[in-house]
Amino acid sequence: MEKVLSVEHLQKSFKNTKVLKDISFDVHQGEIMAILGPNGAGKSTTIRNIMGIMYPDEGRVTFHNHNGDEIPRHKIGYLPEERGLYKNVKVMDILLYFANLKDYPKEKARKRALDYLKKLGLEGKENASVEELSKGMGQKVQFIGSIIHEPELLILDEPFSGLDPVSQEIFKDEIKNLAKNGTAILLSSHQMNLVEEMCDRLFMISKGQKVIYGSMDQVKAEYANFKCTIRGKNGQNTFKSLPDVTRIDQSDDISVLYLSKDVHVTNWLKQLPNDLNVQELSVDRVSLHEIFVDIATDKNIAQEAGESDA
Amino acid sequence: MRNSLKVAKWEFRRNIRNKSFIVSLFLTPVIFVIFATAPTLLSSFGDDESESTKVYLNDQLGVYDSVEPAIEEGEFVDWDVEQTDADLESMKTQLQSEEESAYILLNDETVETGTVTYLTGDELGAGFESAIRVFEQPIKQLQLKQAGLSAEQMQVVANPIQFESVELTESTGEAMGEGETMGFPYERAIPAIFAGLVLFSIVISGMMIFQSASQEKKDKVAEIILSSVTTGELMQGKILGYFSLGILQVAVWLTMALPIAIWKLDDVPLLEYLFVPETLLLTFIAVLGYLLFASIFVGLGATIEDYSTSGNFQGFVLMIPFLPFVLIGPIFSNPSGVVAQVASYVPFTAPGVLIMRLSALDEWPWIEIIIAIAVLILSIWIFMKLAGKIFQVGILIYGKNATPQEIWKWLRA
Repeated sequence: MEKVLSVEHLQKSFKNTKVLKDISFDVHQGEIMAILGPNGAGKSTTIRNIMGIMYPDEGRVTFHNHNGDEIPRHKIGYLPEERGLYKNVKVMDILLYFANLKDYPKEKARKRALDYLKKLGLEGKENASVEELSKGMGQKVQFIGSIIHEPELLILDEPFSGLDPVSQEIFKDEIKNLAKNGTAILLSSHQMNLVEEMCDRLFMISKGQKVIYGSMDQVKAEYANFKCTIRGKNGQNTFKSLPDVTRIDQSDDISVLYLSKDVHVTNWLKQLPNDLNVQELSVDRVSLHEIFVDIATDKNIAQEAGESDA
Repeated sequence: MRNSLKVAKWEFRRNIRNKSFIVSLFLTPVIFVIFATAPTLLSSFGDDESESTKVYLNDQLGVYDSVEPAIEEGEFVDWDVEQTDADLESMKTQLQSEEESAYILLNDETVETGTVTYLTGDELGAGFESAIRVFEQPIKQLQLKQAGLSAEQMQVVANPIQFESVELTESTGEAMGEGETMGFPYERAIPAIFAGLVLFSIVISGMMIFQSASQEKKDKVAEIILSSVTTGELMQGKILGYFSLGILQVAVWLTMALPIAIWKLDDVPLLEYLFVPETLLLTFIAVLGYLLFASIFVGLGATIEDYSTSGNFQGFVLMIPFLPFVLIGPIFSNPSGVVAQVASYVPFTAPGVLIMRLSALDEWPWIEIIIAIAVLILSIWIFMKLAGKIFQVGILIYGKNATPQEIWKWLRA
């Protein structure tokens, strides 16, 4: 796939703290690339450096298919984390203004705006004042504003924050749709479950540093080991004899056994003791969410796994 | 520049559709008119309430003829005079019932003793005592005539002594004379009043810039806009947009005020005085003043999210455009004085002070004007740069107002 954006060796300091340490990644056409990380990890700072709202101390941001050093603003759609709308204006007026700033033809913009308002359940709101909108409706209007000009590259900073589950689904579908139609999408989030379902590749960042970078399958294969969750009354000692178990978490009736990386799942299952009390049993990979929480709480299983792997 | 124009157009349209802007646009001149006319209106209401005093005059001397025109015009006294032959005693009973009336007796005895006998009803105000002095001059003349003075002698006695001052230099004396005959120096004041109005209006809309930048921060819309335009373009666009709003404001006010002014001052060739080269220069100075204040305000607005919790610093800066008002006294009393000269070179006061001085001075000190304008343009350039720096950082800081220390740090960055 064609590269749309490349970020190379980005470094940025505020006062004496280094908030970005050597950040590099690419975004390709038609893919959803996610920047993940806990609060304060440097997600928004990275994005602001890409958008030219801040300038990196070191490193390069390259927009492919574009000559010259200037940021091709009319080809980029941007939904910042801190976002809002002018208050006492009409929804359609503000959308047309955003389109106008991107040099997008007015009539085309109007048509697209109406389409998307309908799609996102805001039909008939085009002449409503922004003040009258609920917070969720406002978010939808902002989203439309960021894609009204058919951007090549769409950058979404925490697009799901403040949305109810229904709206989250709508956003997710729409973002997937855009990617399918060839838009390169870079989004940041800390809502792992949503990201896990939709993104093709991810870049996990913690304290300004790269932790994980790769495609979703790759990351899962590499970092997300198997875990076996068993519901049933079992004592601590029941699992002691089992091989390939790196960690056991027990609470009430549920025991979670984290398995080592090169475990053969079927063989391992055969070794379960006969007297095991099993009400439910499942084997799945450690979710992105768990990796994320571990990183955020400095348990660093992913990092350890990564290091031992390296 | 194209993007700045888009922003300017947006800001203009957004405000022009804003109800509070429209209301203030039309209400401000109405309020001005009310404040200007209310006192006279009220006092004339007061006049209407007290009806003219009924005065019964027993004039055996024939002096009424000489004062009649003055009384009829009602300039000094508001009397309704009725000649009568009735004597003092019969009037006493009549005035018991007519409480707002008076009776004046003028006979030979009056001339001899120099005492006018009069009678007033209970309700009659104290004003009557001074009003009755309208008869003083004719009775005096009568006395002098009876004393056997000739017409010339009478003239000499009647004329009060006058004091006249002679000016040191002839030219100013002439100018003063000219000004006096005009009553008010419309010719020079009108371009200045116009420029002052322009300056006032666009400084007001300059303050709207402050609000707009602050609101942009509060609404968190800045970052979205900045994904399409640079901070410089956004800032310029705002300055330009609010400038057009200010001009629109002046235009609306003038279309409302001009007809009234022309009607009220029908002996002054208003338009002739307005469309002169001086107006152009004064307006140019006003526009420069706007650019200076607008750049300060737009930078300042970007540092404040919530005005109610902002410190004194920002409030103080907001007062800067009103500095020249403090200097009105010293400047008009001496338009070429030290205060006036120094204030012309200080960029913050220069626009207002220059407009005041140039309307008061006969000969324009061109060298001073050129230096002052040069200083002003240079400081506009510097303040635009500084405001750009503050704006760039400030507009993206969320959730707090910037302290002066922070602003200083951004400026040095």
